Amino acid sequence: MEPTSARPIVSGAVSRRRLLGGVAGLGILGASGAGLTSCAHATDNASTAQQTVPFYGSHQAGITTDVQDRLAFAAFDVTATRREDLADMLKTWTAAAEAMSRGVMVPGDSHAGAVPPADTGEAVGLSPARLTVTVGFGPTLFDERFGLAPRRPATFTALPALPGETLDPASCGGDIAIQACADDPQVAFHAVRNLARLGRGAVVTRWTQLGFGRTSVTGTTQETPRNLMGFKDGTRNIRSDDPAALAKHVWVGAEAGQEWMRGGSYLVARRIRMFIETWDRDVLSDQEAVFGRAKYAGAPLTGKAEFDAPDFAGRTTDGELAIPDNAHIRLAAFEANDGVRILRRGYSFTDGIDARTGTLDAGLFFISFQKDPAQFVTLQRKLGKHDALNEYIRHVGSALFACPQGVANASGYWGRALFEG
Amino acid sequence: MLPRVVIGFRGGAVLLVSTVVLVAGCSGPAQPAPPATEVKISLSDSGCEPKPASVPAGPVTFSITNSGSRFVTEVELLRENRILGEKESLMPGMSGSFSLRLDDGGTYLIHCAGGATNSWPFTVTGGSSQPGTAPGNASLLAATQGYHDYVVAEVDQFVPATKQFTDAVRAGDMDKAKQMFPLARLHYEGIEPVAESFGDLDPSIDARIDDVDNPADWTGFHRIEKAMWQDKTLAGMGPVADKLDADVITLKAKVAGETYQTAQLANGAVELLNEVSTKKVTGEEDRYSHTDLWDFAANVDGARKCFELLKPALAAKDPDLAQRLEARFTDVADKLSKYRQGDGYVDYSTVPEDQRRELADAVNALAEPLSRVAGLVV
Repeated sequence: MEPTSARPIVSGAVSRRRLLGGVAGLGILGASGAGLTSCAHATDNASTAQQTVPFYGSHQAGITTDVQDRLAFAAFDVTATRREDLADMLKTWTAAAEAMSRGVMVPGDSHAGAVPPADTGEAVGLSPARLTVTVGFGPTLFDERFGLAPRRPATFTALPALPGETLDPASCGGDIAIQACADDPQVAFHAVRNLARLGRGAVVTRWTQLGFGRTSVTGTTQETPRNLMGFKDGTRNIRSDDPAALAKHVWVGAEAGQEWMRGGSYLVARRIRMFIETWDRDVLSDQEAVFGRAKYAGAPLTGKAEFDAPDFAGRTTDGELAIPDNAHIRLAAFEANDGVRILRRGYSFTDGIDARTGTLDAGLFFISFQKDPAQFVTLQRKLGKHDALNEYIRHVGSALFACPQGVANASGYWGRALFEG
Repeated sequence: MLPRVVIGFRGGAVLLVSTVVLVAGCSGPAQPAPPATEVKISLSDSGCEPKPASVPAGPVTFSITNSGSRFVTEVELLRENRILGEKESLMPGMSGSFSLRLDDGGTYLIHCAGGATNSWPFTVTGGSSQPGTAPGNASLLAATQGYHDYVVAEVDQFVPATKQFTDAVRAGDMDKAKQMFPLARLHYEGIEPVAESFGDLDPSIDARIDDVDNPADWTGFHRIEKAMWQDKTLAGMGPVADKLDADVITLKAKVAGETYQTAQLANGAVELLNEVSTKKVTGEEDRYSHTDLWDFAANVDGARKCFELLKPALAAKDPDLAQRLEARFTDVADKLSKYRQGDGYVDYSTVPEDQRRELADAVNALAEPLSRVAGLVV
């Protein structure tokens, strides 16, 4: 084991006292010479292993991975003008993301006194926190700049204008996106910050979003979390132990005609503002009618327990539909959408107040993965027009990214098949 | 003025006088290093014998293993009582390494507290026997001398330009004073990290109102800037002008005898760009006159001067980085040139947010790789 460059969560950590002050007076290079090592490798410590999600694989991590508690998301515009420079940045990003996923500092020298540390340092001493870093390419990357137009899958075009949205350009689009998820917010932030730094000169940050609480579930043992409206969200989500559903709805197969996307997925991000103050003034029975579920148990209004299948034909003793015709779960259900499903992976956010109204700028940073962006479009066309929830929400940010297949091993990098294939 | 939190131009940097150069030990974005000689050290109760005990000058990697000693858990490489590299907290069974570049021939010491024999001689053969004459040092000496000359030349122009400005202020000639304000400052903004190293001199010349505890004590360019553009009167500015003249003369005397280290050039260049991206791009620096782009250009010119002086040494170590920096300096200059007007620059308040962002992005794209230069030329 190599203790010095790994975050010192185990014994044998570099001593900060010694590193920073203990050799004062002996010459500054004495201090900077401390802890110069090659990169550490992940420790075999069992608790660390449980905190580590494998980076390499046929699919990128962070899609079916049990949803972590925190999100840091960033969209970038590419300023590099040469395709090789962009590919070089992605190689650097891949190596850094792989290291951070193991809880190891960004490759490079972080101990020499004469240079800025390669790693920014705020994750030192923290566990890997199940960090996953997922990359996606925006439709704009496939314009004339890098000669990638022939590699654009036919289904991959910018999202059309959709009902229920009033988009702020400051939260839309981007050439490349990074989704960092972890159980520790600082670990997630650290990943995005360091990739942004490593990308400087090749990309500029277009917008970012932090998410403080997961609102969805992909794991088989995870509790269903609640969104900011107080309702359980993601009860009927696609789970990681359902390979048939994943193959049918999430993973791109050969049909895309683009090898680099085989095993990949399309990421839709929507910044959905919730009008929390007005929602909080709505009576409980109406809140439940809006969703079609009981607020606390999470059961459909036709059932008793959370995982009871909704009975969309069920009626009350008065003869009314028990789950109203504009209830959220009815309109979003695959039964009402020709079987269309998506894998949701959203997070609650709050970004201070709306200065114009004094109300909280908070809501859901919706993320979904699907094998075709049309799946999301189909659902949002219906929800945006008819969903009872629309009185309390507005889509204000939007982006679509093609997340390529996973990186198989250390000789690969994100998008290699796109740039070299 | 520069923020006080910036690592002082004098502090820290002057200590980096050594021909020991650190070698990045990781793959990824780090520089490809020449193959290093490996020295194995096994920690035991008897000590820490290096094998081999003599290596040729150049990159060296010390690979250390604790073969089972509970008493000897760390090792240091020393020369003349200075620790050049070390590895600590190696518990029994653990191993680790450190790498550095040993260009100076001569005798070093491997030291491990707690060993029966705790000091072991270690020899570097070839290379230079004294710091200061190692290969490449000639160009570094030229760089530091060149920087001294540049600073002196800038201050030589700064003094009379400031005098023209202060004469106009004392004469109550508002138009002339306004015209000279950005012109005089050009010769200051390029060498600001040097001025900043002289204690209170920089605050006295260049403080903004946010930097002073008591506005009554506020002196320097920005005090007069406020009088001209906001208060629209030069009344009472005579003593401020006199003080400015005196400060500038003091600066001239101080820079005449100043010497520099290469790390100061490299770090000073980064400081100048940091100054641009935090103060100039936001329009904070010249908030009354909106002449920020003049200062912006002078800061970048000062950084570029540092880079050009270091470029021969840098190109020998990392030609790709030198080339990239050259291209990015050019990119910043091109973007800035869009705002040229007459002998100077447009009013910064007319530059919209999205165009300011474009300038900021270009500066940040330059500053990040520039920050790696110090590690390569020291």
